[in-house]
Amino acid sequence: MNGLISEEIYDVYLQALLTGERGQCVKLVNGLLERKISLYDLYVHLFQRAMYQVGALWEFNQISVAVEHLATAITEGLLTLVYPLIFAAEHNGKKAVISCVASEYHQLGGKMAADFFELNGWDSYFLGANTPPEELLKLLQDKKPDLLGLSLSIYFNMDSLHRVLEQVRGSFPELPVLVGGQAFRWGGSDIAEKYPAVTYLPTLIDLEAFIRKG
Amino acid sequence: MERLDIGEDLTRYLFQDAAILFLILDPAGRIIDANNYTRRLTGDDLIGKALPDVILDFTGTVNLPGLLQKNDKLQLLNVRTRSGLPQTFYFHFIESGENILAFGEINSLEIETLRKNLLSANNELSNLSRELQKTNAELVKLNELKNQFLGMAAHDLRNPIGVILTYSDFLLEEAGDVLKEEHAQFLAIIRKSSEFMLSLLNDLLDVAKIESGRLDLDLEPADLVALIRNNVTLNQSLADKKSIRIIFRNDMPLPTILMDRTKIEQVLNNLISNAIKFSPLGTTVEVNILKSANHLTVSVRDDGQGIPESERKKLFQPFSRTSVKSTGGEKSTGLGLAIVRKIVMGHGGKIGVDSEVGRGSTFYFTLPLTPSNHE
Repeated sequence: MNGLISEEIYDVYLQALLTGERGQCVKLVNGLLERKISLYDLYVHLFQRAMYQVGALWEFNQISVAVEHLATAITEGLLTLVYPLIFAAEHNGKKAVISCVASEYHQLGGKMAADFFELNGWDSYFLGANTPPEELLKLLQDKKPDLLGLSLSIYFNMDSLHRVLEQVRGSFPELPVLVGGQAFRWGGSDIAEKYPAVTYLPTLIDLEAFIRKG
Repeated sequence: MERLDIGEDLTRYLFQDAAILFLILDPAGRIIDANNYTRRLTGDDLIGKALPDVILDFTGTVNLPGLLQKNDKLQLLNVRTRSGLPQTFYFHFIESGENILAFGEINSLEIETLRKNLLSANNELSNLSRELQKTNAELVKLNELKNQFLGMAAHDLRNPIGVILTYSDFLLEEAGDVLKEEHAQFLAIIRKSSEFMLSLLNDLLDVAKIESGRLDLDLEPADLVALIRNNVTLNQSLADKKSIRIIFRNDMPLPTILMDRTKIEQVLNNLISNAIKFSPLGTTVEVNILKSANHLTVSVRDDGQGIPESERKKLFQPFSRTSVKSTGGEKSTGLGLAIVRKIVMGHGGKIGVDSEVGRGSTFYFTLPLTPSNHE
């Protein structure tokens, strides 16, 4: 059990998520928010844990891709319940750009990372799924962020990540870059050794620790 | 080459297991048999139905002879499913002896493209919603800053204006007889302008207070009828100047209700003085009170010019001005109705206006009966 999220609550939530009962999920999350759950717990111990499980069920052919997309769409909708709290945080003037790479359609992890920056007082600019490198470079030029985060969910897109890292390093050699996402479960976590100023963070928990360290 | 005889196995597969739609139609297009997959999708009662009861093209009809002529091309058609949502399949129609065979399949390549497009659209929508929430949070912060500024500015301006008002009052009263007539007129203008400025500042302070969520209501049981009578009397001298008659009749005994007496007085004063302000000379302003199951409704009717429909919506917003002019040159701050609306809403009531250009307007507000007053 993690704070307010008991195993029972988690199971009810997961079932509702898998059967597409959006209303039930909204009710449950609103209930937790009313009981003043920390947003960190909500993201890590409910949203992330459930979506990891949904991803695993899909990989093992226990659920269809349609169910996986439905669960993702519901979770994306649930994030908007939290936004009024996240965006009300005091700002510290630091800026982060978070993006998914080209041909990566899974954006939930990246978006949750962007929200973590907001929660910790950063201004985060989130570029959604399937972002072409040119668009990313243009935004980096415009916003001049203190940090870039790149999210990768599908291992097959590792090449795209390397390509975009090369381009970023070419134009912004000093910019600190964070990489992370579910794709790294299958390998490639040595990516940080191949490029300067790149850090690999396996989970949202590591990301939180990284941001807090300053 | 001799063909293998797989007819029976193929038929069994088509009817029992295949994940495609398979239907057999009679020459008139009536369904005489269908496989398990079709039955699961559409419901078991499809035997005997006509084709258009189950399968339709995008215009909502189906032309079987036409479909048979194009038997070399796949046709995109909609199937009525048991869930009520139509599902799209690629159909192939073949004449087999007297009967017609219909096969419906999904084009997985196309579905994949659709899926990706749908996913992108959903992603884009959810990112826009994130941006919107972010901008919204920034606007809320900016609005708070604006209210703080408004409150501070209004507060700090009130003192010097109070001084101007007091001294011009003093001079008019004490030195009236030694001043030249022209100078006395100038002083009167100074006094009138500073009076208006003070009322504007007071309204601004009210708005700042209310908008920052500090509408503190001091609720206690009070007699609304007595409050109205009191307010009618207070406004009588204003009405007399324009020979306007204020009528308030109430014979019904009404219960006391919970309210902030001072704030509701402010509401009544605003609506009644507004009615006088916008009424032509010699007309009537009528105040009424009605009791219904859950609330009391107070209405104030005037014989003024009426408010065009396009302007009624913005009437209750701060600094909104309408094309309607006061009949005696009275000024208004443009904040009164916005404040009144917030006060009424703070009490759990509603406020509104009915109006007809050339016939006059009726402003009304409701206040909820306290639970013990309910019938």
